[in-house]
Amino acid sequence: MNTRIIKELIKVVTMTIILSFVIDKIVFHTLNWISDKVYTGQSIGKLNQFLQIKDSKEVLVFGNSRANHHIDVKILGKSAYNMGVDGTGIAYSSALLNTLEKGTKQLIIVHIDTKNFFDNSYDGSDIKGLKIKYNRNEKITSFLNSSGHISIIQSFYKSLNYNGKVIGIIKNFYKPNYDYKTYNGYDPLFVNESDEKARDFILKIEDDHNCERKYQVNEIAMDYLKKIKVISESSKKQYLFITSPIYNDKCKKDNDILKEIMKQQNLQYIDYTDFFKGNNNNQFWKDKTHMTQSGAEKFTNELLKQVQFASKTN
Amino acid sequence: MLFNSIEFLIFFPIVFILYWFFKSSHKKQNILLLISSYVFYGWWDYRFLSLIIFSSFLDFYVGKKIESSPKKEEKKKWLIVSLCSNLGLLGVFKYYNFFADSFADTMSFIGWEVNDLTLNIILPVGISFYTFQTLSYSIDIYREKINATKNMVSFFTFVSLFPQLVAGPIERASNLIPQIEQNRKLNISLIKTGFLQIFIGLFRKVAIADNLGVYVDSIYANSDIHNATTLLIATIFYAFQIYFDFSGYSDIAIGSAKLLGFKFNRNFNLPYFSRTLTEFWRRWHMSLSFWLRDYLYISLGGNRKGIVLTYRNLMLTMLLGGLWHGSSWNFVIWGGIHGLFLSIEKYIFSSLKISTFNVLGYIYTFLVVLIAWIFFRAQDFDTASSIISKIFVLDFGSLFIGNLNQFVNGILLLIIGLMIDLKLFNAKIALEDYGDKYNIVRLSLIISVVILMLCLFYSTTENFIYFQF
Repeated sequence: MNTRIIKELIKVVTMTIILSFVIDKIVFHTLNWISDKVYTGQSIGKLNQFLQIKDSKEVLVFGNSRANHHIDVKILGKSAYNMGVDGTGIAYSSALLNTLEKGTKQLIIVHIDTKNFFDNSYDGSDIKGLKIKYNRNEKITSFLNSSGHISIIQSFYKSLNYNGKVIGIIKNFYKPNYDYKTYNGYDPLFVNESDEKARDFILKIEDDHNCERKYQVNEIAMDYLKKIKVISESSKKQYLFITSPIYNDKCKKDNDILKEIMKQQNLQYIDYTDFFKGNNNNQFWKDKTHMTQSGAEKFTNELLKQVQFASKTN
Repeated sequence: MLFNSIEFLIFFPIVFILYWFFKSSHKKQNILLLISSYVFYGWWDYRFLSLIIFSSFLDFYVGKKIESSPKKEEKKKWLIVSLCSNLGLLGVFKYYNFFADSFADTMSFIGWEVNDLTLNIILPVGISFYTFQTLSYSIDIYREKINATKNMVSFFTFVSLFPQLVAGPIERASNLIPQIEQNRKLNISLIKTGFLQIFIGLFRKVAIADNLGVYVDSIYANSDIHNATTLLIATIFYAFQIYFDFSGYSDIAIGSAKLLGFKFNRNFNLPYFSRTLTEFWRRWHMSLSFWLRDYLYISLGGNRKGIVLTYRNLMLTMLLGGLWHGSSWNFVIWGGIHGLFLSIEKYIFSSLKISTFNVLGYIYTFLVVLIAWIFFRAQDFDTASSIISKIFVLDFGSLFIGNLNQFVNGILLLIIGLMIDLKLFNAKIALEDYGDKYNIVRLSLIISVVILMLCLFYSTTENFIYFQF
């Protein structure tokens, strides 16, 4: 390799680094500008709306898709917002809880699932869904930094924060899905007549259960639960942890261990997994873990009793 | 170590700098390459390095014996040693459980219950690739096409050269060993074409293939609950997922090799732009299809022993080619479908005295390949046949989309990938040479845009599909 080749090689590498850095920054700032104006869609809109209204609501719901589709916050009152997001877990919820004003009185409902707590593969990477606010929201940034899910490359190529979300953001920028001012975060599920057969078929499938397996608590999920506990203790809010219904849960061991953990942590927890046991109906279900609007309505009415009780005791 | 990992991002520049630091001595470079290749492979599981080392020792020794044996029978004896040892190892690690299972099933079918004979065997990554590579070395010496190398380090480097160690391209000794045994030079053309190919390969793999894979996996995991529309779209997605996954891997391998001064053979040549299945196999996984042609089809007699034996040879080659991919009847059926249509084409071409089809051939070829992919992707035979029957009874309905964002990303990236291929097809230029067209500023700009696309669209880091073979 002669000097000329070395020079050319250095030229290619240097130019690529400089150009890619510049392009990255242009795109990153453009996307920041666009995304800050988006208030619809799960990519960023819902998060933007949440950050805007979070301290003005009396009831807030956090959790995954089951929280999102199962808790019809309209039933819980006018001043309620459902911040459940598909594909997220306890890491994502805890980072959002950290953004709440400590002095505001609120009822916080956190939907948790045994899946997070006893799944060895859960690594808290759902928190990466908040990367869009990395270095743009102090409290979210601090959580992301401590999560171990921010790579070194991220600090160089900032557009990585928008990984997988660009199309959704641009689409919602030009054509919002709904009027966000009337949106309360709850997304009901429906089953079309043509899909009912497939749904009934799914519900009939017997799952392989190994209820005798050792339920080892996932340390990452446990750490996040402890973080939520610390957040809850330093605020004026009332926290209620729940697990919403499942179509036909055959293993109770995990639920019992989770109940015990919540008790040890001194956190108020209600397990609604078997809420429909005895009066179940396929119409309540989209699949084995997600309820339709009619199921969600029935369940939220039950949850309302607990919320009213909590309001009285607070 | 995966090409699409942070480890490789650190590993490769270190090897590259050290490698060219020893530019005056290709022998020192070879030692470095050998050590780096073992580190690269050992990163996955160092225990299986012993297999590569054993295989290398064996074929190095056997190669010398074949060459030095004065009589043809003796040469043949040593070739059989090589064939039996290499295929024996492959058989134990890759096919033992398959044959044990099939044996037990057959016995059970005729009324004899046999105890479970399967063993808990881990499949060593890349064993199918380096076994074929070492086999071709012994066979080529036997056929007097090449001379046995005298240098052990050169041969060991040939077997384990890290860019192509785990998933090819399956390089022939006649191409690679001479390059290993002489001084390599890096020139501007290699830098430009190598860099571009690496980044396009990464884009094909981590952006296109992995995004499509998320949808494909979700549908194929629950194929019984989806209708024909969804299954058909998932299968079309899979056809492109596997293409962009494997061609992406090959691009990174060939591009990395270029930066080390090596020229590997092309492995993909826009296979979906084929008018016949015969043409498809000249464009898809070329290093394997040419290997099967030269060492299996021709060894069986090729087309020199009459029409019936030609079809038999074609069918056998494709069935064994299918089995090479994995120890499952689904792969055999996949090979069988290809063998059957290749035979039909051969018959049509010889009867009608034509050499290709008209433009409708593109659709015909894609459809045959698509149907065969169902067997390649499905968990088992029952799943594959249920998918095919749903599609053929036209059980169409509304498309299941799942995660809309992911689905739209997949389609967008697929369109970009196809546009790149279309551009290469129309320009009649290989990606391998494309980087040469640009000056350094334009090349850096193109690579920067690719990096941006990777940042915005990379999907979860998944293994390369062909690693399992």
